[in-house]
Formats: sequence, C-alpha cells, structure tokens
Amino acid sequence: MMDLFFKPRSVAVIGASRNPKKDGNIILQNIIDSDFSGDIYPVNPSAEEILGLKVYPNVKDIPGEVDLVVLIIPARFCVQAMEDCAAKGVKAVIIEAMGFAEVGPEGKALQDQIVKIARRSGIRVMGPNCTGIVSRDITTSFFPIKDVPRGDVVLIGQSGLLAAGMASDIVVNRTLNINKICSIGNKCDVNENDLLEYFGNDPDTAVISLYLEGVADGSRFVPIAREVAAKKPVLLLNGGRTEAGAQAAMSHTGSIASNQRIVEAALRQTGCIKIDDFTEIKDIAKVFSTQPVPGGNRVAIVTAAGSVGVVVSDLCAEHGLEMPRLSSPIVESLREVFPPNMEPANPIDLWYTIEQLGLVKTLEVTLAAPLQDPGIDAVVLILAGFDYTIPVLEQRTVQKITAKYGKPVIICMIVGYNDYKNRIMEELGQDLPVFTSLDSGVKALSKLCAYGMRKRQQI
Amino acid sequence: MIINQILGQAREESRLVLTEIEAKQVLGAAGINCTDTRLAADKAEALTLSEQIGYPVVLKVSSVDITHKSDAGGVKVNLADRAAVEKAYDEIMASCRRAVPAAVIEGVSVQPMARPGIEIIMGMIKDPSFGPVLMFGLGGIFVEVLQDVTFRIVPLQPGDAAAMIDEIKGKKLLEGFRGQEPVDTSSLVDMLLKLSAFVEKNPTIKEIDMNPVFAYREGALVVDARIILE
Repeated sequence: MMDLFFKPRSVAVIGASRNPKKDGNIILQNIIDSDFSGDIYPVNPSAEEILGLKVYPNVKDIPGEVDLVVLIIPARFCVQAMEDCAAKGVKAVIIEAMGFAEVGPEGKALQDQIVKIARRSGIRVMGPNCTGIVSRDITTSFFPIKDVPRGDVVLIGQSGLLAAGMASDIVVNRTLNINKICSIGNKCDVNENDLLEYFGNDPDTAVISLYLEGVADGSRFVPIAREVAAKKPVLLLNGGRTEAGAQAAMSHTGSIASNQRIVEAALRQTGCIKIDDFTEIKDIAKVFSTQPVPGGNRVAIVTAAGSVGVVVSDLCAEHGLEMPRLSSPIVESLREVFPPNMEPANPIDLWYTIEQLGLVKTLEVTLAAPLQDPGIDAVVLILAGFDYTIPVLEQRTVQKITAKYGKPVIICMIVGYNDYKNRIMEELGQDLPVFTSLDSGVKALSKLCAYGMRKRQQI
Repeated sequence: MIINQILGQAREESRLVLTEIEAKQVLGAAGINCTDTRLAADKAEALTLSEQIGYPVVLKVSSVDITHKSDAGGVKVNLADRAAVEKAYDEIMASCRRAVPAAVIEGVSVQPMARPGIEIIMGMIKDPSFGPVLMFGLGGIFVEVLQDVTFRIVPLQPGDAAAMIDEIKGKKLLEGFRGQEPVDTSSLVDMLLKLSAFVEKNPTIKEIDMNPVFAYREGALVVDARIILE
C-alpha cells in the first residue's frame, strides 16, 4: 500500500501549472527531474500542455491507471478533487495545500470531509499541509530539488523547515547520506506509525529520524516503534507540549503525568533515541549512518590541546560515557612518539608529537592506538583548522585509519581559520561526523553507545 | 468475577469513585497484595473485626461522599486495643458528621496497621494518545517534592517494569540505604505487571492510585488505594 506513495508507476498532479513560479509547476518539474520513469499526468482544466506533457482537464479523464495523485489546489477545491480521485479508483493521495485543521474549525471541517471520503473509498492520504516526498525515485515537494542521494537515512517530519530548508541543505551540500525525506503535515490519515512500519521493513533504510508535534496514535506507536527500533536506530524529536490529558485528572498519578513525560517514557520503552534539537535530526542521524555501533561506552579522547581534553572528559561523564585508562601495550606503542618525560594517558595529548612528526604521522600512531585497545569502544578526535591539518585532509588520513578498526570515531572542531574549518567540514565531513561544539559531538556519541549497549542486552 | 460485580455496582449507583474497600477488593482479585480491609457498619462490628484482624488496627470512615477522609477527621491509626477502637469510632463519627453533614456514612473500614516499609507510589492514568500509562515512584515526600517517578505505556513487558524501578533517581533507597532494609524489587516488578494486566483487561477504569505501597525485604503491600471510573 505505502509503495503507491514511494514507488508509484504513474502519478497525476492536480493543479499543475504553466507558470514556473507556481507550486504546481515546480512539483511537476521535480517529478521530471527525479528518476521517476512512469507516466506523469498534469491535471488542469485550462491548459493543453505543461513542460511537454499532455494535460487532462480532470483526473477522471486520464486513460491509464493512476497510482498516486498530488493535490496542489486551494483547500476548498480539495474535497471535490478527492471525490474525483475516488471515482477514478486512485488509492494514494498527497494533499499539499494549507488551510485545513491547522487554521481552525472551518479548515478542520474540510479535513474531516477529506478523511471521510478517504475511508469510504479506501484511499490513503498524506497531509494535508505538507510537501510529501523527497527522494531519488520521486519528489513531490514544491521546493525545487534534484539529485537526491540513494543513501540509507530517512527523515520524517511535520515541518516545512525539515521538508524544504533542511532537505535542500542536505541534498545540495551532501551532508547526510539521505534516502528519503517525508513531510506528513497534519497527518489526517498517513502518520508516523505507517511510515515507521514501512521503513522498518525497507532494506534500503538503515536509520530513521523523526520530527513530530505530538504522537498521533500512541497506543499503536509503542508496539511498532518497539519492533522497528530493535532492528534499526529510530531517532525522535518531539516538539510541543500538550497537557490536555493531565488537567482533568482526579488522581495523584494524573496530577504528575504530563504528555511530555509520557512521550519520553514511550521512547525509553520502545528503544527509540530521544533527540532535542532540529540540528540533531541530521547530525545524530549522520553518526548512526556513518559509524559502526559500539558494544560499550568506553571512550578515548585524542586531542591537540590538553584543555579541550579536560572539558571533553567532563562532558563524557555528563553524558554517561566512561574514560578508562589505556591498556599497557597501547601505552607502550604511544610512548614511541611521546616525549620521554610525558606519560601517555587518556586523553591522548598530541601537541608535542604534532610538532615533531606532523599531524599525518601523529594520527597514524595516536589515533590507531586507542582503536586497537580492546578496552576502548569509541574515540573522540579533536581537530583544528590550521595549516598542519591540511595534509590529513588531502591524504584522507582519518578516513583510512578509522576504516580499519570497526569502531566509531566522531570529530569535534572548535577552533581554526574559516578557510581550513570549511575544508575540514566539507572534505572530512563528507565521510565522518564532524561537530563544531564539544557538547554536541559527545552527546551524539553517547546516543550511539547507549544504542549499542541496549542492542547487546537484547542478544 | 468480584471485579465485574464491584465495577457494575458502582456504575449502577452512578458512582465514579470506588470506596477504599472496593478498590482493594478489586486489586486483590487482580492478584495485588493489599491490606485486609473490611467494612464495619457499627461500633460492635468494628470491635469484632478488630479482634479478628488483630491489633493494632486502623479505622477509616467509609463514605462515598467524603473524599478527603483525613481532613474530615475520618482516619485513626495505631489503635492498640478495644478501648482505643471504641473511642476512635465515636470520634470519627462525630467529626465526619460535623465536617460533611450531608454525607451518607456506611460505617468504618477496619484494617491492620501495616508494618512501615519503604513508601512507594504506583498509579495509572489514561493519555489521549497512548492510552493507559503506569506510574512508579518513591512515595511520601519524594513524590510530593521531587516527583521522582517514571512512566511506561500499558501493556508492560517484564523488562519494562524492571526498567521503571531502575530509572528512579532515589533507587538507592530501595537498595538498603543507611541501615534500612533493602527492598524486594521482584515483588514490585510483579505488582507492576499485575497492575498492567489488570488495567488492560478493564478499560472502564480511568485512573488508579496505589499510595502508599509499602515495600519490604520480602514482598510489598498496598496500604491505600483509589480507583476512578470512566
């Protein structure tokens, strides 16, 4: 059923437009620019041809079968269009127009009518008030976007920021190995549960990251999320607090329970990963998408500045990560590049070694060492944007070392010249998670370690 | 059987709140260990029940019209003998009639004075999206001041109940802090799972408080309970 949305064989755009500035034109162009190879039917009663495609006055006039309809007409016309879709036998509709439940009772009444037609005719509806799907196979968004990667991360959101701003950021800058971005708007029918279930079973999806404004159907969410989160990481940012449930309560329990606490409980119970900020939707997804899942939470820090090591140590403790001593053979191997009067320890302080050997040779010993330590599960590497860092980028030193050991490495970069920082971000950041704050990097790693430890408990 | 009977009777009487005796009978029938609490319609019966149950006992006014029993002077604890029970009975009746003159008083509940344990609160509330949700936490001042509680969505799996107990900040108090007896957490897990199963089977129940539950080295006991119907 959900395949009709993501892998349709034919698609109609009701509200297709000749005007390249109009949403109805951009959507059509996005579909043409994607890898979609099925039939595309623009629908518009007052046009003959748009973007080289034959136009139909009504969806009912289309000769072939229509798997998916995108509705981009004003809200007040959507009810009739839904009737037309029902008459045509369409089973999947994305309604992108605004002006429904999000604007008040009148819009809510329109939305209710849509749901009624959908239930009666067996149509699944995504939206309204959404941009639908961004993917290589098909893009229904009304923001111009193409060349979407065939990655392994799926983002699901109820937000224009996610669907438009973040989507173009990710796709153009190639900052996340994305596969699909789904904007589900008011969730009048298709909601996060449908998509979780679908992407949980999708072999191309390795990481699912969600932004929700409230969980639509919590009692269904719990069993689905539990099953999916046992298979692949599910990250969730829940925005908005509703206290509706608690206010009317007569019991002590009811006076304490808040919707936010209950959502948090559901995340713990199902093994979903709670995230707290929009940036984490993609940044933590990137950690899960690019890094192996560790078996524990024992971290080594590799840093060019001792003071940074101190603060990262504190942050590790705060985020539930341990920083054990390095095992003695590892300390021995580090001693070869350390000055005689300085005992190698965790954090591994690189400054002297960089001055002696340069950063490439330094990392070949000092980054490889903790990754070989059986007592270390993950590494935080602190880099800076200076001259001496550039050979590491050019020779792909960090990528080469980390590829060898199957342990996660996250990079934090907090100082340097912008030119170099940008290069680190763009070049190293393609392959590995690079954070511009220590806290966000350590926090992201802690989520990965917690996931790994939970996984290990399940086995 | 007894569960349906009690819930049915409350519905017939258009009552949304069960009496403490009813609540404990219902929970008891669900396999949850509650203090043996019985209704005495008059003073003589209160004495007979006290003898049967064994001193010291607790007397509480039993009336669906009196929600805040302590405030109405309707609770007397640690009654050690016949004389104390007789005196407490008279005082409860006088005080409650004064506090809530219109109340229909069916008598007093008699229950043994429970041996003090670590105070726990358990409860259930319904969330509009998630449905029934259980709460677990440290009772007494900990719940009042710190809200040191945790939630899980019904139905609970065994691991969920253990995780709830593990998650509270004051977990150390359950492990035998400063010479206090450590608590039998397995009986708390068992109680949470029974509560979850009970809630799942009885969708007409809207809210539950089990407050306090006394947790001991062995076992746990519901000392007071409140059930509210849809």
